[in-house]
Amino acid sequence: MDLFVAAFGFGLVSMSVIAIAAVGFTMQFGITNMINLAYGEVMISSAYVAYYLNRAGFTIWVGMAAGALFGAVFSFLLNRILYAPFLRKGTSHLGMVIVSLAVSLMIANLLLPIVGYFPVSYQEDPGRLIRWGSIALTRDQFIIIGIAVVLMLAIHALLTYTRLGKAMRATAANPTLARNCGIPTQRVIDAVWLITGALCGLAGVVAALDSDSFAIANGATFLITVLAAAVLGGAGQPYGAMIGAVLIGMITELSAAAWSPQYKEVVAFGILVLVMVLRPQGLLAKRGALAAAG
Amino acid sequence: MPSRFVFAVGAVLLLAACGGSTPTGNGLGTGALTVGVIAPFTGADAGLGPAYYAACLPAALSINNNGGVGGRMLSCSKFDTRGEPADAVPAANQMVASTSGLMAAIGCTSDEASTVVPIIDRAHIPMFCMTGQSEFNKTPLKYFHRLVPADVYDAYAMVGSALFGPGHAPYKRAALVFGGDIGSQAFVQPATNAFTKLGGTIAINQPIQLGAPSYRTEVQAMLASHPDVIFTEALGSAGTYLKEVKTQNNGQMIPFIGSSATIDPEWFQQVRDAISLNDLLKYYAGVDLGYTFSGAAYTEFLTNLNASASQFADAPKYKQRGSTLHLYDGIIMTALAMVATNSSDPTVYNPKIIDIANGTSGAMVVNTYKDGVAALKAGKSIRFEGAGGQNNFNQWNNSQSGYILVGYDKDGGEVTTGQLTPDQTSRIFAAGGS
Repeated sequence: MDLFVAAFGFGLVSMSVIAIAAVGFTMQFGITNMINLAYGEVMISSAYVAYYLNRAGFTIWVGMAAGALFGAVFSFLLNRILYAPFLRKGTSHLGMVIVSLAVSLMIANLLLPIVGYFPVSYQEDPGRLIRWGSIALTRDQFIIIGIAVVLMLAIHALLTYTRLGKAMRATAANPTLARNCGIPTQRVIDAVWLITGALCGLAGVVAALDSDSFAIANGATFLITVLAAAVLGGAGQPYGAMIGAVLIGMITELSAAAWSPQYKEVVAFGILVLVMVLRPQGLLAKRGALAAAG
Repeated sequence: MPSRFVFAVGAVLLLAACGGSTPTGNGLGTGALTVGVIAPFTGADAGLGPAYYAACLPAALSINNNGGVGGRMLSCSKFDTRGEPADAVPAANQMVASTSGLMAAIGCTSDEASTVVPIIDRAHIPMFCMTGQSEFNKTPLKYFHRLVPADVYDAYAMVGSALFGPGHAPYKRAALVFGGDIGSQAFVQPATNAFTKLGGTIAINQPIQLGAPSYRTEVQAMLASHPDVIFTEALGSAGTYLKEVKTQNNGQMIPFIGSSATIDPEWFQQVRDAISLNDLLKYYAGVDLGYTFSGAAYTEFLTNLNASASQFADAPKYKQRGSTLHLYDGIIMTALAMVATNSSDPTVYNPKIIDIANGTSGAMVVNTYKDGVAALKAGKSIRFEGAGGQNNFNQWNNSQSGYILVGYDKDGGEVTTGQLTPDQTSRIFAAGGS
């Protein structure tokens, strides 16, 4: 029983990491209509930015801020330079998915000669273990949970209470109508790429910090988990992605406690497939913040 | 007229298909020669491919700097198996089908050996494989060669380190933390058999998914089983796993014993960065084949390895990687077999490799390619003792040698810490069922 309680505590950390990444990914899709398969590579690129700063003597928290900034700028430029021209030419959804897959491969292969293939670690003392019953987490893990909670609340506030958030929701619901109503949709989309890029960059550093050591190949691993959480919650739904993150994070940890850890992701993705069979639109489709009234 | 045209086109196609470096059957032929390095360069076991590539480059330099193989220059080509049988098959087919002058293949790790070895054997290409799988202990495949013992012996050596190693009382409770891949799982059963029959207890057997972002729950379960030692080979994920052991165990490491694959510069760096140099030096013990890292053969290897840095910057890091030394020797022996038989036909020079390695009666011992070629030209038979030491192939092309107990120094160099006595070795073998 103690192991399951401990696994629950670890699940809190896992779901926090996944939530930061999945909310950014799903907002990007929900508002810009772009399934960005390069998301995982932007995450890992940001993790390496933080790594090199950390190696240069900066704390990981400075690296995290730099990673978020890098992710924002990188994502913004990716859209402006690569994705937007294709979209202007009327490239289909499937075509854009292929474009983003190509971008993902290009980033990974450009990064490989710079960072190498082998795992690296941040030089960061995770702090002493804080115990609460069978749950034992480090200071850094509590900080990661805290960052996720603050960011989720901030995303909620952004979408619900700010003019930008309302403009995002309008653009997501019907971009043509939003433009006709005087909403500067291009600037809104730029803002979305900056915000979700920052979430992506931050998520990359947080995931790398949480993993203790990471390598270039982790970009693809991150993407699969993020996609799973986003799809499970309902594609394009930030609150759905949060729920998806909770489920994926918890199931992976609890199943590692219950069965052979070799199969923990198999169990998590098995449940994802089951949900998709029973509810193909995901858990929160048409009920989330970005959905059109339906 | 049309029949002449068809004949002419057919003849041209036939010549084109043959390429420019066709073995003549008599003589060493012309054109470049290639050694295919077929191994994981990406994926969870991506650390293996570079170690093997680092074997090929100095071997090519050693051969090319001494006139090549009958004037034919040697180069190395990488074929990435990703450590997955499904990816390895097309890689092996591509290597066999599209590489001109393919004289040998090296690599073929446990991850992919079962699928690629038959393909390479059917193509009649001599290969030197770094697989420890028991299915190759008595293989009928004539082109397969193995210069390292089967994994079962690596596992026995780890058990020996736990029970008879220096500086500690015999460990009684072991956690088995091996990657879920084919290669790593090969250690589990022999280690379990030998350790339990000699009085130990397996506290937990934990196959882990390599490349996972974290192992918190796995580590918690492992710690809850209260082991006093961890047996491990989890390449690529060792840093993550061991850092979590230290974190969840209140900053204290548990002694851990690694397979011979953990004697690797990338593994050292990864684990050092994760748990600190002091803890790595204090708590790690490994096993390896008994290398001297000295002598004429090793000096030649080291000189050419350092010179290979212009092609592969990390090559010099592999100066004490056992598999790098052995595969280097394998390529040199193959080249010498070609010279000895004066043939570039693998069906002719392949059987000669064993003669070169084991030596025949009255054979002259040589340590370098240059000396080997000189001796052969002087009409002598030779025995090649290379950077990895003496070879003794049995009838199934397996060369066996003994293990030593090792650790690391602060720079990542291998340090011998002990040796198992013949009595200890035979007790472990008997317990393990060998």
